[in-house]
Amino acid sequence: MMILVTGGSGSGKSAFAEDCIVAFGNARRIYIATMYPFDEESRKRVKRHQAMRQGKGFDTLECYTGLARAAIPEGSTVLLECMSNLVANEMFQENGAHENTVKAVVDGVEFLQKQTENLVIVTNEIFSEAAEYQGDTKLYQKYLGMINQKLSDMADEVVEVVYGIPVYHKKYKASDVDRRSEIR
Amino acid sequence: MKMIIGGAFQGKTLLANKIYPEIVWANGGDADWEMIASAQGILSFHEFIRKEMQTGNDVSELAERLIQVNPQVVLVSNEVGYGIVPIDAFDRAYREAVGRVCTKLAAYSTQVTRVVCGIGTVIKDA
Repeated sequence: MMILVTGGSGSGKSAFAEDCIVAFGNARRIYIATMYPFDEESRKRVKRHQAMRQGKGFDTLECYTGLARAAIPEGSTVLLECMSNLVANEMFQENGAHENTVKAVVDGVEFLQKQTENLVIVTNEIFSEAAEYQGDTKLYQKYLGMINQKLSDMADEVVEVVYGIPVYHKKYKASDVDRRSEIR
Repeated sequence: MKMIIGGAFQGKTLLANKIYPEIVWANGGDADWEMIASAQGILSFHEFIRKEMQTGNDVSELAERLIQVNPQVVLVSNEVGYGIVPIDAFDRAYREAVGRVCTKLAAYSTQVTRVVCGIGTVIKDA
């Protein structure tokens, strides 16, 4: 099962995603942290998330680039947070994928899908505002938008969290899976 | 408590007036805490959060305080968290604060309606 969780800033995406992971049961829980702590504000942010996860039995794996090479044991349950940071890292960090960011990230998620029993990915809606961006920022929006669309295709469920309320854009139906296995 | 939320210029106020024609609305941009605490309805609630932060007031407990003193209020607020992370530190903090405060208020609310292109969709009805 793969769930893509999206939404705006401060909307309760992480809390929702963690609830999904806990609901999956007791498989080994791995948290893939993608935010590179480069200043005081980001370190605070990381601390806040660590406090939220406390007691939920996660092993944390830091992965700033190269998701397809992450050491993920087979059959684990993974929460990846968050796509917007991973994409920025791949685009702008020295050892990132740069112009190959979309492929690097999608390959990475395909790898995770193979390795995991259950996968929850948190991404971000950064596409609705008045400001027009140029250059790297515009390209960043484009790459993240393309990646979100691909991940949404791959996912069993796509849910937008609006102030803590889940709004489903794609809902898992057991009957679809049955039909798929019949075709096979 | 009830909430009507959505992006800017989506027809939230129009819809609010349609659903609650009897309500006298306070305006978040120019209301003080006393008005907020006693209002039947508040328009532009996000503007109140911005004003508080600009004044240097802590808004981390704003949701809890409002629930305590005015649990029946109808809140109309913009969603402001759907863009690129702002360069300005205050803008970043404001954007996140609106999210955190409204998430707590939505958890308490019995009904949350989201307005897109003038059309309200009830996303929570407890």
